[in-house]
Amino acid sequence: MISEAIKNTPRAIIPYITAGLPSLDETGEIISVLSSLGAAAIEIGIPFSDPMADGPVIQKASKMAIDAGFSLDDFFYHLNGWCASIHTPIIVMSYINPIMRRGIYKTMDRLKACGVSGLIVPDLPSDPRDIFDKANAIGLDLIRLVAPTTRTDRTRQILDQCMGFVYAVSVKGVTGTREHIPEGLRQQIKHIKSMTNLPVCVGFGVSKKGHVDDILTFADGVIVGSYLVEKIIGSPNPADAISTAFLSLIE
Amino acid sequence: MKGYFGEFGGQYVPETLLPALEELEAAFAEACLDKKFQEEFDSYMKDYVGRPTPLTYAKRLSNHIGMNIWLKREDLNHTGAHKINNAIGQILLARRMGKNRIIAETGAGQHGVATATACALFGIECIVYMGSEDIKRQHVNVERMRLLGADVIPVTTGSATLKDAVSEAIRDWVTNVDNTYYLLGSAVGPHPYPIMVRHFQSIIGAEARQQILEEKGRLPDVIIACVGGGSNAIGMFSAFLDDPVELIGVEAYGRGDSENAASIAFGLPGVLHGAKSYLLQDKDGQILSTHSIAPGLDYPGVGPEHSWLASTGRVSYKLVDDRQALVAFFLLTRLEGIMPALESSHAIAYLDKYGQTHKGHTVIVNLSGRGDKDLHTVLGSDL
Repeated sequence: MISEAIKNTPRAIIPYITAGLPSLDETGEIISVLSSLGAAAIEIGIPFSDPMADGPVIQKASKMAIDAGFSLDDFFYHLNGWCASIHTPIIVMSYINPIMRRGIYKTMDRLKACGVSGLIVPDLPSDPRDIFDKANAIGLDLIRLVAPTTRTDRTRQILDQCMGFVYAVSVKGVTGTREHIPEGLRQQIKHIKSMTNLPVCVGFGVSKKGHVDDILTFADGVIVGSYLVEKIIGSPNPADAISTAFLSLIE
Repeated sequence: MKGYFGEFGGQYVPETLLPALEELEAAFAEACLDKKFQEEFDSYMKDYVGRPTPLTYAKRLSNHIGMNIWLKREDLNHTGAHKINNAIGQILLARRMGKNRIIAETGAGQHGVATATACALFGIECIVYMGSEDIKRQHVNVERMRLLGADVIPVTTGSATLKDAVSEAIRDWVTNVDNTYYLLGSAVGPHPYPIMVRHFQSIIGAEARQQILEEKGRLPDVIIACVGGGSNAIGMFSAFLDDPVELIGVEAYGRGDSENAASIAFGLPGVLHGAKSYLLQDKDGQILSTHSIAPGLDYPGVGPEHSWLASTGRVSYKLVDDRQALVAFFLLTRLEGIMPALESSHAIAYLDKYGQTHKGHTVIVNLSGRGDKDLHTVLGSDL
């Protein structure tokens, strides 16, 4: 479902937002805005106290959401409604500890039951076969990341255990806005695409319309996180703020 | 499975770092087989660090407690703690790998000082991440690191303590992975760090075992060491795991049940900083903030091998609170003329309770560091 959505969206942008920023009700409003504006899929991050793959913006967003009282029970309660209210596929991103805390398989079942289409875990174990098998069995797309440092044999292993789309990390580094997209990205994407039929989407550092335009000439989609989350932080009207920001990217 | 101790350990890291861990694992395995590398390490241990460190019989403390107490004097190492063993070992490895930029995290500052020292010794760029809270309470060590030429970067995110310094070091590593070596200071983190840190710290246990056999002609009944991440303890325990010797790790009980850093006693298995281990966390898997008077123990996790040793029962893990540690600091200072680090004071403190039921037993306590760095805290206490 995620791969079709990406393929069927001419300008496939996957926005990332932090759940519970500034509140779960407002997260719901943001999701509905993003869906109506034509997001290919929506990635919702479960805030974690120690997000080691994230830069300053997502770190701050996560802390704000947790300080505002984010809880997994409330999240799942809302998630059901969000998934039911839109046709856009919802992808949940979480560090492994929060989803492991109550049993990783149980949590995956619960995500699936809520109507979630995919799962991204930035700190999966190096050999996540069991988790992949479970995802495969229940029909939850386990979306895997391929980094600029990933060697070809490892890329092949990852692609064998990847569903939905391939998340190509554009830079060596953490998430966050950047001025330029790195040289060599086009080549890196070409290389990955030569090994898979899955859509390949680029994330980390995508922060302006020019980046989106460039990347979409060689990749199937882009993931935009920090740039959008930054607009939510401190905005009196997050849904409006994200609407303006997302429109500027998609037009 | 590779890199696991039972269910604990592993490599839970961003994909970008996985090749770097594989490179490190290969370089470490190669170095272990290279006699020259071992000789080089041994020669620095002897001529630079000042090893072997003595095993001191603590006569007045022994009389006071009613046991035969031997102290493994890691406080007498160059830079004043066991951390230098690992810092020298890993920096030799980094040089072998051609890395010219070293990053490290530090809590109490002892690992930061050890790393800055090793970097000065070899003329290598050194960046140390340190929580801004720790910078306040360990100011002398910050000045030492800066004098040694290290760039100390305050970490203000999260609780601004050791765990946040580790996260920030990992973020730096992900960004500068090509030329950077992450010199992790405790037996935590993704494989191969826990086994590598144990390897370089195992010199503590190997020496102590030989020394007690030479002195007494027999093994001790029990060994006690403090456990934060657990590098001094695992270094000491590693030589005795197959012996009929009771092994006790002492965790920081801080101010009590709700404010401590005792991951094994109060934590549940989880993943932080690349490995699965006991972790202080809430019902949603958010990492809890911790407290210990000893900054080197103030960490919500513990090395995966300790989690395994706890689950098999080979090592028992006990609790000592802030006040008991302070009392032990004064006790050792007055009875033996040795000022222990507040971390090591936790191990000393447990003698009081243990001694009540084990009169006459022979014990080795790992005195992992000296207490000069803690004077400010000790003098500010109400004891």
